[in-house]
Amino acid sequence: MEFVTHLLAVYGSLLNFIGIQSLLALSLYITLSAGQLSLGNAAFAGIGGYVSGVLSLHYGLSYILALIAGSASAGVVALVIGLPVLRLRGVFLAMATLAFGEVVRIAAVNLTITGGAQGLVGIPNRTKGWMIYLVLAVVCYVVARLRGSRVGWSFATIREDETAAATLGIHTTYYKTLAFVMGAVIAGLAGGMYAHLTFIISPGEFGFSAAVQLLIYNIVGGTRTWPGPILGTVLLIILPEVLRGIGVAAGALRMAVNGLVLLLVILFLPNGLASLFQGGSRQTPKVAPLPREEA
Amino acid sequence: MELLAQQLINGLFIGSVYGLFAVGYTLVFGVLDILNLAHPAIFTLGGLVALWLVEGAHFSIWAAFPSAVLFAGLLGLILDRIAFFPIRRRADSNFSGLISSIAMAILFESAAFALFGARTVRFPANTVTNRVWQVAGVTITSLQVEIVLTAILFMVGLTQLLKRTRVGKAIRAVAENDRAARLLGIHVDRIIAFTFFLSSAMGGAAGILFGLYFDALSPDMGRSIEIKGLAVIILGGMGSIPGAILGGLAFGLTEVLTVAITGTSNLRDAVAFTMLFAILIFRPSGFLGRRSMREA
Amino acid sequence: MRKADRWGCIYALTVALVAVLALGGAQQAIAAGKEAKIGLALSMTGGAAAYGATQKNGAQLAIDEINAAAGAEGPKLVALFDDDASTPQQGANVYSKFINADNVSVIIGPTLSNTAQVTNRIAQEAGVPVLGISNTAKGITDIGDFIFRDSLTEFVVIPNTIRIAKEKLGIKKVAVLYGNDDAFTKGGYDAFKKALADAQIEILSEQTFAKGDRDFSPQLTQIKAKNPDAIICSALVEEASGIVSQARQLGIPKSVRIIGGNGFNSPALIKNAGEAAEGVMVGAAWNVTSTSPLNKKFVETYTAKYGNPPDQFATQAYAGVYIIHEAIKKAGSTDRKAIRDALKGIKDLDTVLGKFSFTEGRDADHLPVVQEVKGGKFVVFGE
Repeated sequence: MEFVTHLLAVYGSLLNFIGIQSLLALSLYITLSAGQLSLGNAAFAGIGGYVSGVLSLHYGLSYILALIAGSASAGVVALVIGLPVLRLRGVFLAMATLAFGEVVRIAAVNLTITGGAQGLVGIPNRTKGWMIYLVLAVVCYVVARLRGSRVGWSFATIREDETAAATLGIHTTYYKTLAFVMGAVIAGLAGGMYAHLTFIISPGEFGFSAAVQLLIYNIVGGTRTWPGPILGTVLLIILPEVLRGIGVAAGALRMAVNGLVLLLVILFLPNGLASLFQGGSRQTPKVAPLPREEA
Repeated sequence: MELLAQQLINGLFIGSVYGLFAVGYTLVFGVLDILNLAHPAIFTLGGLVALWLVEGAHFSIWAAFPSAVLFAGLLGLILDRIAFFPIRRRADSNFSGLISSIAMAILFESAAFALFGARTVRFPANTVTNRVWQVAGVTITSLQVEIVLTAILFMVGLTQLLKRTRVGKAIRAVAENDRAARLLGIHVDRIIAFTFFLSSAMGGAAGILFGLYFDALSPDMGRSIEIKGLAVIILGGMGSIPGAILGGLAFGLTEVLTVAITGTSNLRDAVAFTMLFAILIFRPSGFLGRRSMREA
Repeated sequence: MRKADRWGCIYALTVALVAVLALGGAQQAIAAGKEAKIGLALSMTGGAAAYGATQKNGAQLAIDEINAAAGAEGPKLVALFDDDASTPQQGANVYSKFINADNVSVIIGPTLSNTAQVTNRIAQEAGVPVLGISNTAKGITDIGDFIFRDSLTEFVVIPNTIRIAKEKLGIKKVAVLYGNDDAFTKGGYDAFKKALADAQIEILSEQTFAKGDRDFSPQLTQIKAKNPDAIICSALVEEASGIVSQARQLGIPKSVRIIGGNGFNSPALIKNAGEAAEGVMVGAAWNVTSTSPLNKKFVETYTAKYGNPPDQFATQAYAGVYIIHEAIKKAGSTDRKAIRDALKGIKDLDTVLGKFSFTEGRDADHLPVVQEVKGGKFVVFGE
């Protein structure tokens, strides 16, 4: 038991971070599962983090209400920009959400209420490790249930072929927007919990590289099943710890190993790490496509 | 008046720098429909290797420039071979290619970091002579003129290459339909490799000019221009060569005019990205792109 | 591969992974009495890697010197370096490991103030003394009574700079240019703004730039049109050298001084801006040409060892290790609380930064300097 408490002391902050990032990875997974390549989820996390952080820091709102408000704001923003933006496909959707993300980041840098570049400092520390994992469990449950449902089926059909989905009578705009908004709500929630975990959030944490990181988690883990993104998150976050454990010096080398792992996974495990765990999936390199640009 | 004239010059110049960076970026996209996120890393390595050749190997800049450009081109070949060739047949190759190019970008950047350190360095003073002209209160330097000319040269040269030469026609055929190109007897893989060579060589050249003008090279210098480069190729119309230069100029002028009109620079990046967002929504094909490519 | 084999593989991998992590996290034997373990969490990758690198050099030099000079009596320093990757999250992971697995007596770092806001709370809660060597943001040492720093903040350095600039140059109206998306440069701007208001100097124009920008001519063109007496600039050296050279290129005369803070205090400014750097005024915590014997010896050995002269980051790291060493010596033990108490008592310690003490609030207390670039060197303009 002492061993366990000790490990928790050493790796507690790591576990919390894994939990938050898993939530964010799952938020993108939902959007991806409807075939929509979004780079906006980091910005939605930022919106959730800043809204809930400002509300509890400056307006004394309770933790739960602040989280709900943050999450809901992310959802509303997603709804507003989702309608025009989701007409775009593939890389163009990615670019539009990227531009949106930059505007959010620049707003956080320039506004006074967000604390500018120095960040929003002094957010009460309310999030506990178990809360993160409780929320993660709930989100996992929802996402797992989605798979067999009409919503999940519609997502998957749109992902395989949007035009075909429309001819099957699926209201594609509705379902694409739904996937986008669901992703944003979860990202906003994760952002709010993160803000109440670390005392400070700053604009740089929700920028382009954060958005790309979420995509990387999904690809490394695999985007065909929900445990994939979590697996990718866990692996990539503990990688530096493992490298430290086996004595790889900090610096350029660790960075290179990170790049190498990513490269090897994408080259040799087209369905991500999760495919290792599924019987008989090895002979399916012909991945069902994410959307190509040509309509 | 003087102020506005100077700002227009500033905008044209920085716009050309963006365009220079974006030309190679957009070429690969036009041919393969792949966003090559390792392009900024090759841009960086081109600049750093040229610097090393000048400082470490005592090359003159006239020898270092073509050598480093060639080196960047070779990096492009390696990039294609490792990150794109093996996954070309996959149905989601444009998506997994995006990720494998990120992996290569990390590897290239860590190599730059290990070899050259994290510090910001510059070419030795007087590597090139940079004359400063004051014309009617407006400042222009010879290096600025050279960079603008190079950007135009790249644009015209590449357009002509694609239009007139055999290999250029082959590239366009592959871009249009690689299966048909293969049936016509075009060696598709070789053409794609050549495209990467060309794109990366131009990226490297952009990195060297960038380093020469701004006197600041560092392993992460590609990152700050990466997002703006993406914005530029969207504005111009993805895959369009003249569009990349035009998009660069539009982005540069937007930035500078925001500063000139509002008198302050806080809004500069916000305006630029809002414009990008708006263009994507209202005219997704960019200035010169093919509309059909991106909408259902 | 059969399915059973695959599961076997996964199982073996998982076991190996847990073993590696457990080993990494295992309590290591506490060092014998003559040795003190210090953890250094610095940015070796990410946005602040350039600073982490010179900090590591400075700290390593001090540790080598101390250990070479320490007899059998000690105390020798066992230094553990790790990378905070310029992010609060990775910083927190490194701190947790230093505190709970490595059982360090004291921590030096982290490189960035935003990281410190997160990590130092962990250390405060665990009762581990921390010495910041480059954090200049407000409120870092307010986190608690275990948090110290030897980096003079912009709020000390800048009013002094502005006062001297006003006295000696008679500046009345200025333009301000600063990086608004970086905690350090934004903090510097806040300090400048307050100091300018206190000195009743008029601000004609305020311009911003973003981290990583290399072209500053639009902002400088606006500034030039306003004809200020001086340009006040809060930037780190990567941007500072470009600002300085582009200002001169645009024809802003040398009589319009460019005045910067701690971020300008690096040999790279002179190297990268070249001739244009002449006349730039830099208010900072440390002057490289200071003739104190300690500083002369430091600059010489550092330059000989690394091939580059030290910058302020290296110097504050070097001084930091000596300050920690002094505290451990005075405490006579490696106990965290004893070291904290000894740190509090440090007064007029001879360091490369000058006579060094901590204020009541555990901030650095020593004289700032104002320098100008003359003949390709930083020389003292006034103290």
